Amino acid sequence: MSPTPPPPPFDPELAASLELIKDMISPGLSMDEIPAARQGAGIELLGRLDLSMGGAFAVEDRTVPGPQGAPDVSLLICRPASADPAEPLPVIYHVHGGGMVLGDNRAGVDGPLAWAYELGAVVVSVEYRLAPEHPHPAPIDDVYAGLLWTVRHAKEIGGDPDRIVLAGASAGGGLTAALALLLRDRQGPPVIGQLLMCPMLDDRNDTVSSHQMAGLGVWDRTANETGWTALLGEHRGGPDVSPYAAPARASDLSGLPPAFLDVGSAETFRDEVVAYASRIWQSGGIAELHVWPGGFHGFDGFAPQAPLSQAARAAQLDWLRRLLAR
Amino acid sequence: MKELAGRLAALDPDAGAAVRVIAYFDRLAETRAGVEALVRGAAVLAGCPARLVDAERRVVLRVEPDGRRRDPAAEPDPGWPSAPLVPGGPGALWLERAQAGPSVVDAVILERAAAAVRSVLDRTRGRAPAAPAEDPALVETVLDATAPEPVRLHAARRLGLDTADPALRARALAPAEGPPRIVAAQETADVTRSGNTLPAHGGGAAAPGRRGTGPAHPGFPGDAGPGGDAVRSERLGIGPAVPVLDLPRSWAAARLALRFTGEGDGLDPGQRVVCADELGAIGLLADLVVPGAQPHPDVRAVETAAADAPWMLRTLHAVAATGSLRAAAAEAGVHHSTLQTRLAHAEHLLGWPVRTPQGRFRLQLALTLRHLIRRN
Repeated sequence: MSPTPPPPPFDPELAASLELIKDMISPGLSMDEIPAARQGAGIELLGRLDLSMGGAFAVEDRTVPGPQGAPDVSLLICRPASADPAEPLPVIYHVHGGGMVLGDNRAGVDGPLAWAYELGAVVVSVEYRLAPEHPHPAPIDDVYAGLLWTVRHAKEIGGDPDRIVLAGASAGGGLTAALALLLRDRQGPPVIGQLLMCPMLDDRNDTVSSHQMAGLGVWDRTANETGWTALLGEHRGGPDVSPYAAPARASDLSGLPPAFLDVGSAETFRDEVVAYASRIWQSGGIAELHVWPGGFHGFDGFAPQAPLSQAARAAQLDWLRRLLAR
Repeated sequence: MKELAGRLAALDPDAGAAVRVIAYFDRLAETRAGVEALVRGAAVLAGCPARLVDAERRVVLRVEPDGRRRDPAAEPDPGWPSAPLVPGGPGALWLERAQAGPSVVDAVILERAAAAVRSVLDRTRGRAPAAPAEDPALVETVLDATAPEPVRLHAARRLGLDTADPALRARALAPAEGPPRIVAAQETADVTRSGNTLPAHGGGAAAPGRRGTGPAHPGFPGDAGPGGDAVRSERLGIGPAVPVLDLPRSWAAARLALRFTGEGDGLDPGQRVVCADELGAIGLLADLVVPGAQPHPDVRAVETAAADAPWMLRTLHAVAATGSLRAAAAEAGVHHSTLQTRLAHAEHLLGWPVRTPQGRFRLQLALTLRHLIRRN
């Protein structure tokens, strides 16, 4: 095998931002570091302090039925406080990140809340059981159950069941893509779009980018192997991994709702995200792909002030605005 | 980012936060990030808007803590924490918040960001217009004890003095003609330590032939001490080497030293360059000679003798300035016996012997007082 080419450089301001978070977020993660990481400050960085955004949202935690035979699922529901109940709003159904092993439904919800603030939408963020205690299919089953409740009770929370957009970052992006596949394959309720931010799609962990970024940035190939192994155990990388766990394994990417994908050029997931977008196009689907030069994994969440992050977030919002015609 | 900054502040004691601040700006500098990135860094890390105002280079930009650039509508509030781009200069980088008390982190942010901004601006926009090294207004400011210290430091910086260097010493020069000047002093070549470097008589060379340079030529000339390369120097008093803020004192001493100089010719023999450091207690004599006072009878006696023969003053100076009659003869350019004959005549006119130690001292005093009267 030829030697791994050097990694693309980080964007200057993102490189500086890494200096701020490197003690809280290291590139790697091993299985025995998961408990400490769950207690650590890193994932907290993605949590929003004020979910109501200064009173703009009414915030509610609701427990809804989980998958058959499984515990209930907790949904964080944020509704615009000034919404007219007679006019149902689009719903952003958010799946948090954390490598399948970390996080809760607050993590990374600031992005969807900012979109909802701009566009007038309800945010529903789903809590799911985490690996390795709860391997596949527990996480995707919880995410699916939460979506079904949201569709059925959309009007109850001021939402329009015909205008639900899926969104997630990292592991949440992978689960979002998996949810889109599941809805297609089970003829579940239709959603109008999937917003996949630096999604975790491929358990094989063998792309050029996954090797290039070893030991660098956020979520390198070691951490990625840990996350996938937690979810899939010995099946990780093997011949019979479900596309509902690792969407890159899906043989058919046709018939999916329009997709938005973004990823940094300096991260493990770059190549699998680009490949996933390409396969959607090759299947005749609709996808918008942004590869942000010098971006590390989750850069727009960890360093939202950086110009590259502002551009990335503006692209997400623009896509939603076009999708929702708002 | 307010959240991140807030969380960092909550998670970290000041020291840890300061380390991150330093790493942040070091990283930006390594990657040659631009000025806006640096100001953005200051805003994000401080959790308040940050503003850069460099009037000289017409750079104004302001970034809010969410990273967005929103340029200012009003002037900076002088109460905000700020840092100059050059030590002692006017505030250029500002954190827009009321200062509750000194904050270690704010100070580190301002210091690191300002240093990085300065190097970017120097690289991308060139250095600020260089002030002529002898810009009289700048020199006067540095020498003015009543000017505020930051103003004096800024002026010194513009004259090319590295005021950030605590070891820096400089001298004020008081030329007989022309405005005052300032030169940096080098410890090793310090004129005050090198003993007899001042010419013992007129015609000595002196520093002042070499002019200080401005920031456009980094490296203010080292102490261009006497004994340099000029053939005939200007008449000059040299002040002691002092820290920049003590230059008014060096200037006063240089002006005093100037009064002890002579033209170095037959009518006014003496050192054209006098270093205040070498005067010692002789300097006290200056206070005795005030404008309008009658010259001491010994000085009048010297004048009377001088009127008698064209060689008189030069000969008397040679005796006063040398250690032996043989040396004095060489100094005066006459044969030993000729000198003896001349001195006998001079002693007759003066009314006191000049070949005894006490008489020679009396002659030195009279000649020195004569300089002071002429330079009053």
